[in-house]
Amino acid sequence: MIAVGGEPFYYLEFGDIVLYFSPVTTTLFVLALLFTLFVLASRPERQVDIAFGSDAYLAKVITPGELHFRKFMATACGLASMGAMVTGDVFDFTLFASLVGITNIGIVAAVKNRHVQNAAYQYGLVSLSATVPLFSGAAMVAATTGTLSLIELAKGTYPAVPLAVKSFLVLGIIGEGMAPFYAAKAEMFRAPGAPYVIMCSLSSLLIFLRVVEIAMTM
Amino acid sequence: MIRRISNVISHFDHILPLFAAACAIIAAIAIISLPFTYVPDQLYPKTINRASNLDPYDRGGPPFTQAVIHSQYPGNSPSAGYVTTYLTPFSRFLADSTAHLGTTIVAHPGGILDEILYNTRGLDTVVEPTILFIAFAIASYLFRREE
Amino acid sequence: MVVWQEYSIGLLVVLVTAIIGFYVLSREKDDLHRLLLIDLVEIPSLGIIALLGTDLAEALVLPGLVVGIAELLALGQLYLTKEGLQDRPVRGLHIEVIDTSPAPVIISILLVIYGIILSGFTGGGIAGLGIVFLFMSRGFKENFSLIEAAAGISWAVWILAFFVFMFAPQYWYFAVMAAGIGILFKVMAKMALVGTMWGEGR
Repeated sequence: MIAVGGEPFYYLEFGDIVLYFSPVTTTLFVLALLFTLFVLASRPERQVDIAFGSDAYLAKVITPGELHFRKFMATACGLASMGAMVTGDVFDFTLFASLVGITNIGIVAAVKNRHVQNAAYQYGLVSLSATVPLFSGAAMVAATTGTLSLIELAKGTYPAVPLAVKSFLVLGIIGEGMAPFYAAKAEMFRAPGAPYVIMCSLSSLLIFLRVVEIAMTM
Repeated sequence: MIRRISNVISHFDHILPLFAAACAIIAAIAIISLPFTYVPDQLYPKTINRASNLDPYDRGGPPFTQAVIHSQYPGNSPSAGYVTTYLTPFSRFLADSTAHLGTTIVAHPGGILDEILYNTRGLDTVVEPTILFIAFAIASYLFRREE
Repeated sequence: MVVWQEYSIGLLVVLVTAIIGFYVLSREKDDLHRLLLIDLVEIPSLGIIALLGTDLAEALVLPGLVVGIAELLALGQLYLTKEGLQDRPVRGLHIEVIDTSPAPVIISILLVIYGIILSGFTGGGIAGLGIVFLFMSRGFKENFSLIEAAAGISWAVWILAFFVFMFAPQYWYFAVMAAGIGILFKVMAKMALVGTMWGEGR
């Protein structure tokens, strides 16, 4: 059956879209769940700027509104990653990945700093253009095999998915989860509020792991 | 050399051109690896009956009967096929008296697209308004903060 | 010998347009033009979905389209914030007919009624258009919270319909109606709010 992720031991059926819990997907799901709970429970760090040449230092103020908004976005991001970990349908997975992408924009965009917002905008452009390879990849999977369900594809009775189609899917995920690798460098981490920014990194790491599993299953 | 490359990559203005170039390259690879075989045995196949008043979307049957839907897991949605045939009284009247309801049926309650969007692939449609909602939350937060 | 079916020929055409779009996107330097070009590049992806040529394809085009529009909305607002263009007041339409005659109200009511008949996404779009037109012509009094509450409740109605479909399929008729009405009000409220976001109200 599903060779890479191990044998699924529980199926949750929503019509054509079946969520499945195999050893790998369950591990990733629990990881996302734990981190979501952690985000809900934690308080953000407070950054301090030290003024050169004197003993003065300035604490950056985070308004409650911004705090709530970023907490909300980080929680939504966690829920989206949880969905992306266990879904058993290629198109549904691409939708969850886009949701992860847009919540990542939200986490960063709330910061009131022009430099950070510029980075968030560029990252948002990438994640918007990444929906193109994602959705076209999923549509081509359906056309070349006749199904979108990963459980069916894992049975091996369907025609093989062309390599180019798989690379479309992987490229799309790279675009959606690009935050921690490029824009996130200094620009995004300059944004105050540690646990929320780390949610960006964790969610993109998780969707990367999942897309590798999906590409090897097909 | 490596230093120059990493210098270009590290600047966030260059991410989008790099990503777009990667997309163009993968699309070119896809063109080289064409032709893909189109599997004729597809889910939810399209059938067209030109004589019907519901022309491109006539999937059979009067309202409150169950049409046959070629879905992935028929066992998971036992009610699939009822929504497909359903027409509201008003659209029923239009369908009986005119030949122009065909493409509008996708907008009325009932029809094959409602069947797929609400019933068999309902989770897709749950995620999709959520994306809309998140995008809207971001936009309205940014908009109102300035006030 | 491999066979070139219609599907592969269509794919060739769409992929060539995608390459052109992505090439232009990789050369563009201006931030606003990048956003507009991405909107253009999304069209080949809808084309590839449509090439599937089944009812499933039509059901997949809708999410694809909505995701593109949603992210465009968020990024557009982010662009305004980042460029500091928000404090430029936009003035409403001040045309005598629209200001004094009952015409805008009548047109809006007709659009809303037609939207309610259609229901679902399309109906929500049309009814929302009617409300936006009314706001544009008559100005807008600040009352976000009511519309937002309506949007939230209708979202809950739609989720309820989803669970009825999944776990109590014998009540499918109730679920269709709930889903249609829920999505109608949700899309209508969102459209109306977006329509007021540029207004002179502030």
